Amino acid sequence: MFTLIRIELFKIFSKWRTYIGFIAIAALIPLIEIAMLIQKERTFDWITRSMGQSFIFVGNFLNTYFVSYLIINSIALHIPFLITLVAGDLLAGEATAGTYRMLLTRPVSRFKVVTSKFAAGLIYANMLVFWLALISMGLGYILFGTGELIVSKSAQIIIFERTDVIWRFVLAYGYAALCMCVVTSVAFFFSSLVENAIGPIITTMAIIIVFLIISAIDIDFFQKLKPFLFTSYMLNWQSFFDSPVDIDSIIKAVLVLAGHIAVLYTATLLIFKRKDILT
Amino acid sequence: MSCVFAGSFFNFVLAKTIIKDYSVSEAVIEIKNLNKHFKDIKAVNDLSFNVYKGDVFGFLGPNGAGKSTTIRMLLTLISPDSGSIKIFGKDLVKHRLEILRNTGAIIEKPDFYGYLTAYKNLEILGSISGHEIPKNRIMEVLELVGLEKRFKSKVKTFSHGMKQRLGLAQSLLHNPELIILDEPTTGLDPQGMKEIRDLILMLSKEQHKTILLSSHLLNEVEITANRMIIINKGNAKVEGDVRELLFAGKLNVKVDVGNPEDLNRIVTESRWGSFLDSKSNSTFIFNLETKEIPELNRFMVSNNIEVLSIVPTRSLEEYFLSITEKGA
Amino acid sequence: MKKVIYLIILLFTAAMAQIKDPDIILNNVKKASERVKDYQANVRIKLDIPFIKAPDSDAKIYFKAPDKMHIESKTFALLPKEGMDFSPAALLKGNYTAIYVKEEMIDGIKASVVKVIPNNEKSEVILSTLWIDQKTSTIRKVETTAKVNGTFVIELKYDGKNQYNLPSNLVFTFNADRISLPKAFSDNNTEGAKKKEIKSRQGRVYITYTNYIINKGISDSIFEKKK
Repeated sequence: MFTLIRIELFKIFSKWRTYIGFIAIAALIPLIEIAMLIQKERTFDWITRSMGQSFIFVGNFLNTYFVSYLIINSIALHIPFLITLVAGDLLAGEATAGTYRMLLTRPVSRFKVVTSKFAAGLIYANMLVFWLALISMGLGYILFGTGELIVSKSAQIIIFERTDVIWRFVLAYGYAALCMCVVTSVAFFFSSLVENAIGPIITTMAIIIVFLIISAIDIDFFQKLKPFLFTSYMLNWQSFFDSPVDIDSIIKAVLVLAGHIAVLYTATLLIFKRKDILT
Repeated sequence: MSCVFAGSFFNFVLAKTIIKDYSVSEAVIEIKNLNKHFKDIKAVNDLSFNVYKGDVFGFLGPNGAGKSTTIRMLLTLISPDSGSIKIFGKDLVKHRLEILRNTGAIIEKPDFYGYLTAYKNLEILGSISGHEIPKNRIMEVLELVGLEKRFKSKVKTFSHGMKQRLGLAQSLLHNPELIILDEPTTGLDPQGMKEIRDLILMLSKEQHKTILLSSHLLNEVEITANRMIIINKGNAKVEGDVRELLFAGKLNVKVDVGNPEDLNRIVTESRWGSFLDSKSNSTFIFNLETKEIPELNRFMVSNNIEVLSIVPTRSLEEYFLSITEKGA
Repeated sequence: MKKVIYLIILLFTAAMAQIKDPDIILNNVKKASERVKDYQANVRIKLDIPFIKAPDSDAKIYFKAPDKMHIESKTFALLPKEGMDFSPAALLKGNYTAIYVKEEMIDGIKASVVKVIPNNEKSEVILSTLWIDQKTSTIRKVETTAKVNGTFVIELKYDGKNQYNLPSNLVFTFNADRISLPKAFSDNNTEGAKKKEIKSRQGRVYITYTNYIINKGISDSIFEKKK
């Protein structure tokens, strides 16, 4: 199985489209951070405008933690689109290329083929999130150093001591990676149904957009649907920046997301095992 | 009088009869009552045939006959609705991995990972098979198909013919006992076709591989295959030894004579006129059964006809068309 | 003899009697504070504000008369603007009208309550009420009503460890209603966040002063704004 996963990763990273996500992050984040570096204190206008009349803020609040928090907050819902580019191609790409015939006439079970591709897709998703973390925090550290993290939530402002921040980011990025694994699972599932990668890519993106819209509309029926939509849990990484951390809600979210991954993987496996390869 | 007989023998053959009494234990592929339909279309209809060890088995049929569907079922790309397939005496469903370890195949147009080199494609395909193929084996099969100089080239730069060769190379990579070839010479030039034909014959005769060969190039099957089946609309029409099937039933017998006017006269006055298919200068073509050939010869000789040659012929194309058009 | 006794009682009473002239009271306070030319101190800040959650923090305060102040911290500090400069010079800026109100006990100490109304209509402060300990000429409590920031209270405690009567503790109390929260940075859909409500409308900041270094000289460069 490890050989198969290694081969799948090799195939993934031999395609140019895989690097779109990495390049996009590598280009966008430095742009954001340099812009913040240029405008410096004005970055905190959002807080000083309202509270500056009453309070004096002392300390290096414009630091790698704040910048990384800002970045993950801004692009958390856009990263999925970079994931679908690769995940949607995992199975459908073989059909498009005509390589299913070559692949599935090897003495290897369809279970191993599907599982190794799925595992490779998950590894890619995690690598992309890790890359995001590395660029955000690494470059942020070089440009801004460390300091306390100031977070503005809807009901309050929370300041975290610098020694109390790193573990939150580790868990937040880990949670974000789990969310991206769900996106991978969705795209992978659709990839098993069709013979062209464009379909699963667009379908997954459409599902994310539709689910987000449904969650945002304040109608009773939609609000009842909300707990069942995986997008409702995609922003729960912010819970790691609460004080205290709401462990129960995080555990619930993790279980829901893990459940989505399990169900989608199983469905893909069942479909693929029975699929007639006609391409 | 001189007669030249081409063709090997004049055994009396009935269509759909297996001539040689192969014991079942030598059967490499055993297909029994295979059925497959797609929506309302019956692609394979109660198909049964055997392929024996050492055979180069021609698998023929017009477009849409069910050949590709059958081959895909043999390779577990498609599941049959009913029926059984045994390869190497083992049930295909239960022993899939074991069987595929000993089977190589090209299915239709072979496709590869275009962004990888020929060498890398074969290396990956070998790894997927569960064992690392040594570098020299990869180069060996590439040399066998004439691609050793292009091993570092990306497959997307390959011509159709080169991809076809690479397809053949991947089917031989793990030295399988059974090789299934679906249109292996498509897109090749005449030289390339000959090379592949020679390769097939070598694999069969020297390495004792069993080969299932599906091709539209009937003369190619005629040259390489020893046994064959013709299917049409999912059904088996004829199955058996190639030569025996070709020489069963009526043949086109080409007769060359020194005195064509005399022959023309006596033929038209006799019952042999009804067997005359066509004539041109000194060449007469009769449509005869095998047993009637010596009778005609005696008739001509007794009527002082200078017989230069008698050549019974039937091309596989003619035979194929006769079978499939009959079915249509 | 009786006359002598009466005179002694009168003088004693006179001595014990608090001054009721507000201007004199305030001037005494100003004079006492003028002894402090500069000081630096370590502060520990504890926030008890409904909409801010922050750990206790440490900072260093530099003060140079009459009104220079600089705060720095190795980590962070969030301090109320109004409460930092509690020097009489800052509290009693410009022309004002002072009114003696009464005497009141505060923390077991008799304090004179003086209201101060700035004469300048443009002044940010509308009214200040000071509780002054005349014995030590120190301000114990200030309640100020300002145009923008509303009413806030500063309570000062003294441990007597420094001869200049600089406070050891300061409690700054304000009305949180007046302070608007910045726009939520994160689109907080989490259930936990929705449960939070501001129960109390009052905010408090507790500042503890230690390690005073007084009148040892502080360079002006410390107070120059870092660009």
